[in-house]
Amino acid sequence: MSELANIQRWLTSIIIKPGKLGEKIRLADQFYQLNNEKVIRPSLRSSAGEKIGIYARGYVLRLMDCMTAEYPALHHLLGEELFGTFAKAYLVKKPAASPDLYDLGKNFPDFLKAAQPENREIHNTDPSMFDLPVELAKLERAISEVSRSKGLEGMEENKSIENQMLYLFGTVSFHASPCLQLLQLQFPLVDFVQAVQQGSEAQVPDEKESFIVVSRKNYIVHVHELEQWQWHFLTQFKATGNYLESAEFTAQQCDLEKSSLMADMMLWIPVAISIGYIYADSEI
Amino acid sequence: MTSDKTNRLGLSNLGLGVGLRTKHYAHLMKNEPVVDWFEIISENYMNNFGYARHVLEHIVSIRPVVMHGVSMSIGSTDPLNLEYLKQLKELADLVKPVWISDHLCWTGVAHLNTHDLLPLPLTLESLKHVTERVNRVQDILKRPLILENPSTYMEFQDSTLHEWEFLTELVNKTGCGLLLDVNNVFVSGFNHNFDPEHYIRNIPHKAVVQMHIAGPTDCDTYLLDTHDQPVPTQVWKLYRLAQQLTGGVSTLLEWDANIPEYEELVAEVNKAKQVLLGDFPDVPVYRSPLADGVSNPVDHQMQTVHE
Repeated sequence: MSELANIQRWLTSIIIKPGKLGEKIRLADQFYQLNNEKVIRPSLRSSAGEKIGIYARGYVLRLMDCMTAEYPALHHLLGEELFGTFAKAYLVKKPAASPDLYDLGKNFPDFLKAAQPENREIHNTDPSMFDLPVELAKLERAISEVSRSKGLEGMEENKSIENQMLYLFGTVSFHASPCLQLLQLQFPLVDFVQAVQQGSEAQVPDEKESFIVVSRKNYIVHVHELEQWQWHFLTQFKATGNYLESAEFTAQQCDLEKSSLMADMMLWIPVAISIGYIYADSEI
Repeated sequence: MTSDKTNRLGLSNLGLGVGLRTKHYAHLMKNEPVVDWFEIISENYMNNFGYARHVLEHIVSIRPVVMHGVSMSIGSTDPLNLEYLKQLKELADLVKPVWISDHLCWTGVAHLNTHDLLPLPLTLESLKHVTERVNRVQDILKRPLILENPSTYMEFQDSTLHEWEFLTELVNKTGCGLLLDVNNVFVSGFNHNFDPEHYIRNIPHKAVVQMHIAGPTDCDTYLLDTHDQPVPTQVWKLYRLAQQLTGGVSTLLEWDANIPEYEELVAEVNKAKQVLLGDFPDVPVYRSPLADGVSNPVDHQMQTVHE
């Protein structure tokens, strides 16, 4: 390994690893066979260790700011200290590897899930203590992904079908939006997330099954709660692209009469198109 | 003013510009941008197909745009990230930037990314390493790379070159251009006890394509490049000197935390006009007793636009 490569590995390990600065420097010196005082030039105002500390401290603060920016509602829910504890632990477990900052928080919901105690049932704990933060993180990550991924913008829109039922007769080809995300949560979190976004008072919701859709149209991200049948339909339709098969699946899942479901869908599909959950090709 | 002074690799003086930031998207979609040009953080748009890209397409249609990166990691001993360069080139195909810039730094090694602009030992080994990589990047991008001097908080005992010497050699060996951040010269000059004027007098002026100005924070024993304050008087003075020595190059105000409203941002960059006439704003360096400032803040890239 070249001298330059060795120095870069030495400094990266000090910056990224957790722990007290002095101890991190000592371990890195030992591992890379360097002496920090012989690598970094001290000045009258600062020692070599203090100079390294500026970078080590900046690393944590910079990435914590990014985590807070991606998960503002979770930050609001947990508060500065608890959010900071989890986010710092996450950055230790999954240090940034990608040049894309949006990859930084990608695995945070899974990390929070894995951080839950295994024997929580024994303690009869309130589900909001463990499940709520995980679900909130999932929703905020979905919002983040939908806001950046390829969507319907730029596609040629077939506006003629919005108020017609041509889909029932197979004369129009439908697809789920490429950026559509669907979440089944144990807490109704839409109002909470929106209240935090708007800076108004955010009430922590009680547990209640919630079917969420996150979509984007005309560059505006929409986060809505759906009826159970709407959620099942969109989930199946996104997976299969088959409208009638998805309706059949939904009727079974929700224990609904297919005719009744189709009647509801006739009213709802134009809404789903207008919000951008699904779109119609201009040609079949 | 001689033509030799204003070579700038044949790239034009775009005038006064600001960074395109999420906070100003709504304003810019409804109002004239007023400034001459914009700089974008390349990484913020490379995998972003949402509203940010829509705003970018609008801005590209009305003003010159320059792409400024923070993750090329030109000094890293990891292999060049070819996927990153491919995405950068794809974005350049869309934006058609007047130039593409990044920093003389490394951001991580062993496939880790600190998202910081880390300093290099300024040695002949580093010079050879960076020269090879700049040449490769220029071959891939098919254009000169413009490199910025970073703010630094440490120097290496083994360094045998001053930063201005390193940059001069790099320009000679690769034909790259320079983005002279006069605030970074000010910050590093304080932190490493060198004369920032001497630095500015000794870089290859005809290679300077662009300048950055910004406001740092005085943390008592060191200055931090926080991009969150008005430009202080000392930086304006260095800016005027650099503009005189280069014959006049594109100027960009960086403001990445505590970002003001657009009108205030424009008013700040417009101070450059008075500065060039010798009229300096009386602005002290912001002092903070807290050690919670962030150099090169990047979280401004993470804002989402909701319904």
